Amino acid sequence: MTEAIAPTLSTYQDVQTFEFDRFKAQERHRSYLGTDDLPSLEALKARLFDYYSMPELLAFLEEKVQYRKITLQFPDHLVSDSAIIAQEMLRALNVAVAPLGSGTDASCASASCDSSSCCKKAEGDDNSERKVWILADTSYSPCCIDEVAAEHVHSDLVIHFGDACLNNVDKLPSVYVFGKSFIDETAFTAKFQELYPDTSSKVVLMADAPHTYYLPRLYERLKKTYPHLAYAAIKLPESNTSVIIDRDAFSSAAEVGLHQVNRFFIGLKDVQQDMEQEGIDSALQGYDLLHITLPEAPRLLVLSTKFASLTIFEPTDNSINQGPFPSLMKRYRYMHMARTAGTIGILVNTLSLKNTKSLLNKVSQWIKDAGKKHYMFVVGKPNVAKLANFESIDIWCVLGCGQAGIIVDQVNEFYKPVITPYELQMALNDEVSWTGKWITDFQEVLRNAGEEKEEKDAEPAVNAEDYEDEAPEFNPVTGKYVSTSRPLRRLQHMSIEAKEPQEDDSTALIKKFSSTMAIRGTVSTSAAQLQNRLWTGLGSDFQDASVNSDEEDAEEGALVEEGRGGVARIYDK
Amino acid sequence: MRGLMDVVTNVRNMSVIAHVDHGKSTLTDSLVQKAGIISAAKAGDARFMDTRKDEQERGITIKSTAISLYSEMSDEDVKDIKQKTVGNSFLINLIDSPGHVDFSSEVTAALRVTDGALVVVDCVEGVCVQTETVLRQALGERIKPVVIINKVDRAMLELQITKEDLYQSFARTVESVNVIISTYSEKDLGDAQVYPDQGTVAFGSGLHGWAFTVRQFASRYAKKFGVDKTKMMQRLWGDSYFNPKTKKWTNKEKDADGKSLDRAFNMFILDPIFRLFASIMNFKKDEIPALLEKLEIVLKGDEKDLEGKALLKVVMRKFLPAADALLEMIVIHLPSPVTAQFYRASTLYEGPSDDPSCIAIRDCDPTADLMFYVSKMVPTSDKGRFYAFGRVFAGTIKSGQKVRIQGPNYVVGKKDDLFLKSIQRTVLMMGRFVEPIDDCPAGNIVGLVGVDQFLLKSGTITTSELSHNLKVMKFSVSPVVQVAVEVKNANDLPKLVEGLKRLSKSDPCVLTYMSESGEHIVAGTGELHLEICLSDLEHDHAGIPLKISPPVVAYRETVEAESSMIALSKSPNKHNRIYVKAQPIDEEVSVAIESGKINPRDDFKARARIMADEYGWDVVDARKIWCFGPDGNGPNLVVDQTKAVQYLSEIKDSVVAAFQWATKEGPIFGENMRSVRVNIMDVTLHTDAIHRGGGQIIPTMRRATYAAMLLAEPRIQEPVFLVEIQCPENAIGGIYSVLNKKRGQVISEEQRPGTPLFTVKAYLPVNESFGFTGELRQSTGGQAFPQMVFDHWATLGTDPRDPTTKSGEIVTAARKRHGMKPEVPGYEEYYDKL
Repeated sequence: MTEAIAPTLSTYQDVQTFEFDRFKAQERHRSYLGTDDLPSLEALKARLFDYYSMPELLAFLEEKVQYRKITLQFPDHLVSDSAIIAQEMLRALNVAVAPLGSGTDASCASASCDSSSCCKKAEGDDNSERKVWILADTSYSPCCIDEVAAEHVHSDLVIHFGDACLNNVDKLPSVYVFGKSFIDETAFTAKFQELYPDTSSKVVLMADAPHTYYLPRLYERLKKTYPHLAYAAIKLPESNTSVIIDRDAFSSAAEVGLHQVNRFFIGLKDVQQDMEQEGIDSALQGYDLLHITLPEAPRLLVLSTKFASLTIFEPTDNSINQGPFPSLMKRYRYMHMARTAGTIGILVNTLSLKNTKSLLNKVSQWIKDAGKKHYMFVVGKPNVAKLANFESIDIWCVLGCGQAGIIVDQVNEFYKPVITPYELQMALNDEVSWTGKWITDFQEVLRNAGEEKEEKDAEPAVNAEDYEDEAPEFNPVTGKYVSTSRPLRRLQHMSIEAKEPQEDDSTALIKKFSSTMAIRGTVSTSAAQLQNRLWTGLGSDFQDASVNSDEEDAEEGALVEEGRGGVARIYDK
Repeated sequence: MRGLMDVVTNVRNMSVIAHVDHGKSTLTDSLVQKAGIISAAKAGDARFMDTRKDEQERGITIKSTAISLYSEMSDEDVKDIKQKTVGNSFLINLIDSPGHVDFSSEVTAALRVTDGALVVVDCVEGVCVQTETVLRQALGERIKPVVIINKVDRAMLELQITKEDLYQSFARTVESVNVIISTYSEKDLGDAQVYPDQGTVAFGSGLHGWAFTVRQFASRYAKKFGVDKTKMMQRLWGDSYFNPKTKKWTNKEKDADGKSLDRAFNMFILDPIFRLFASIMNFKKDEIPALLEKLEIVLKGDEKDLEGKALLKVVMRKFLPAADALLEMIVIHLPSPVTAQFYRASTLYEGPSDDPSCIAIRDCDPTADLMFYVSKMVPTSDKGRFYAFGRVFAGTIKSGQKVRIQGPNYVVGKKDDLFLKSIQRTVLMMGRFVEPIDDCPAGNIVGLVGVDQFLLKSGTITTSELSHNLKVMKFSVSPVVQVAVEVKNANDLPKLVEGLKRLSKSDPCVLTYMSESGEHIVAGTGELHLEICLSDLEHDHAGIPLKISPPVVAYRETVEAESSMIALSKSPNKHNRIYVKAQPIDEEVSVAIESGKINPRDDFKARARIMADEYGWDVVDARKIWCFGPDGNGPNLVVDQTKAVQYLSEIKDSVVAAFQWATKEGPIFGENMRSVRVNIMDVTLHTDAIHRGGGQIIPTMRRATYAAMLLAEPRIQEPVFLVEIQCPENAIGGIYSVLNKKRGQVISEEQRPGTPLFTVKAYLPVNESFGFTGELRQSTGGQAFPQMVFDHWATLGTDPRDPTTKSGEIVTAARKRHGMKPEVPGYEEYYDKL
């Protein structure tokens, strides 16, 4: 149908009207394995073995026999490989296994399912037996270890495949297998030379974890012509106890102090080895960054603040992308919007990251201290519709992984802006500040917060007599005054209003509910929001119509009659 | 003076308004001098009311300034006052306003708190564009005008015109003023036209400090001729002649013998003045004393030694003191608050006219609940603090009184924009000084201390919980020129933000906000306005060095046609569908919404009536307007045209929210939308409330709006200035060539009768106006000086989606600047297939 024609009576609905889009089966092309086709299963298996460094992984597992329950976590685009890997792993670990295809459907191995039996791949009562589960459809960001899903099966080891953020997790031991994604080296070199005709250009090569495998080779190749070239190798944060399989391939032996964003930099010139963090920051500012593959938006934003310029090389089609990238100035705008927001929604978009709980508590404390109202949300994978459901929220603060767990809204899709705890912290300062940095790491945010003074003056008690309202705040985004920016500080104001005589004849639910703006001792900005709604409940539209329209189009609402009761099986008469 | 405030019938609140350089501040000096605040010698040069350094330096008024003056009238004058008065003492609250078009908003703010206006018109230049603008504003606010024709000395000395020519020039000016008045006058105000023979027009010279009305001369001659003064007044103006031989009045310009007679005005009024001028300027020393004696002018010792212009000034000032003429005109003909509020109340108050607050305003009742309107903020010597300047419309305001401060978004019964606070002090504004007073009754103009932090620019202060707001002022100018400001030093950021706040407080019209891309924007009405604002920001409000971008223009997004098909968007869960169509709104309706004639806060039925009667809307459609946008009051509408849709009223809030969002950031390049009407054709909703919540509807309605707009021949609108240029004939060629180069469009070219000056009026896109003044000066040898005022939004005829067109270029550049994809998205991006 080319043109949408509204049905004459919109209330008409049938099955077709609301039919779901059908799932479209699609042939997956594993471009990360190489450009050539792999017709046979055996050839594919061999390639995957190599890609995921299976020999090393199996060697590791055979050595660490204490890990009995092993979960394999795959990001969505690699789930198609999971069956083969899991089966081969079980075989190698000498566990009896069902033939391929019997229970290895990726869609079944969903981590989001609540019963572990669904995920179970290997049956058997023997406790000494090693078991393997596949975790797919990661709840929050695929780059992080999904502890919650793993705990469903009481797993004692998570093996994470694919690109990873390497952020610390709370408790579970984990192993990272990045894979070795294919890159056309000749094409890359050619593009590189085209991009940087000046051989004295200062460039840092960086890649997502799977592609980092090739960086040393590319580096050696280009080093001769470009003396100021550097590259970024993978670096686990110091406190992270996880293991990277085939580690040598990804990082060189010398782990020196030049690290940043979970990478350390090899080949950086004019930086002293013993330099402090600031030294590295300023050194990186002099470099252009050539990143292989387009990072997730939050990481992209972090990287764009660290380097002089940013270029993306896309290995799938060997193309170059130089922007536009998300801009930090937009974040500055959001920060200002947060300053005058009255209600802040804390959106928890991770459960496994280390420090999540302490940061959560900290953030809610900050908000309370600033006299603002907060609500806490966990919505699974956040999307536009889910967040827009909460109309009373003025701004969202998302706690999530810095690589992919933060929402960076590039096309203004979200109804209300989404900011990070770091930005919120700046926004809640009395004095406007903006550092030009963008910090996503919880640890660092907490450290920053710690530097601030903890002291708080006891609120002077106000008596109703000489009570005066606090002045509204100026919102530089709209250029207007906002009086609702600190709802908790206007308690008195609310109670004055609440004293108004209640109409007894009013039976509308909403009125009863909202005449008190405070619910259980705290101010409810949601209730305030509901008060302002035009539609106040069933029948209110008819009420309006009868009050407002005197003559012609007065619509009469039907009288409510008691209908039939009971359960679907047997209704009353 | 405080005592006088209680006698409200003897109070006159008036503003002085005019075109730039017609001599408002100079004339005001004469009045201030009369009150003894500045010395007579300085009057005319002091520009007492220009309190700022840059005002004095540039010689133009930038901010309006208020002063209260005391005046005593003779019994005879008091008799002529046609409204209720008590005693001979009068209090005049005078506001001197700026004349440059860029500062029109100051005029609007001044007019709101006054009841009468002294319109100053240059005798040589006549009625100019700004004269018309301010008069229109004054009449819109139901302000009664009186006129003074200024700079008569210039006509006499520089142009050397004859008496009859001068009379003709006066008559023409009065006539053109009256044309404007009759065009814009409202019937509730009564006859607002001005008549020299009734004493509502004065003639004079602010620089020399003299002025007269026909009434003054009439009372002089009334005694001599022994006739009634009113009759004399009529004889001294118009086609009325005196035959000295027969001593008879006639209305024919020839006597019985066919000899031409002198017009009475020329003979009795202009003749003595011309003779004084002639003898003094031609240094006929012997004639002067006799003449002076005849006119009963006594010179003091050293004044006798003066010669030429200096002597002329002294003599004229003694002969016809400007202050006398002006005060007489103000006191006799301008309404007192009691008179004025009677017919102004309904236009001032947002609420119903039978509301107690409205009745109190109408009666100017000092014992009723307080109604105070803050019209502007005046900086104090204490940095960052302001006096809230305004007028008591009802009740009495006292220091220490506990009041309710209601911001512009306050709605009765709600808590938004409402603050409880005590007034710290009330002060009387006296030019650059203030005088504290204890309280102030209805009808007076005062400043308040201690409420400035609750109101950004203006607001209502009341003591009654049931009071609605006083109507928000609508400005005739629009901040369409904008720059981005940035701190040079990142540590200064807090100061910039604070400075922007103070800047937006200090000026009624300036806008400060943040662009989509996170830049701080300052928007003003023109280049001069911006220049003043930015220098204030840099040197005063923020006090830090700033980086300022070149000026750019604010655009709007609109549609040209009805959507070519119904735009359909499905909710994220695919369970709800919204079918809409976009169509353009008539320019007149958009203008009416922007000017507040069609007001979203009005009762919807009254509004629908107006829209149907005056703008040809269908009444049913007009009643089904769901909302205005953006910000709830913009010129874009959602109209419900559905039939029998279940649960429709339930999603209204979500639709409204989505529409505000969509109209704020249009799909083309994120600018405000304008003149877009979105008709909701149909809606399908899921039967479960949870599946049709805000989360489903808000994004969907926004997408549907975008799709409908992109299907309806989207266009962009740019702001256009009306330019008025006065110049001699030889400069016209230069003007045309510059206008042509700048996409200007000449609408009229007229010679001012009796002068060699030409007036060229043209439309000029604001985008092209940057540097226009300089270029014009260059190509006309400095003879042409343009006045530019925002006039309308003009739709660019080309498709903004095609990057090769003019509008396409603008859009692409703006999208790049904002970090968006360079190409405008197609409707498919927002359109869902069934």
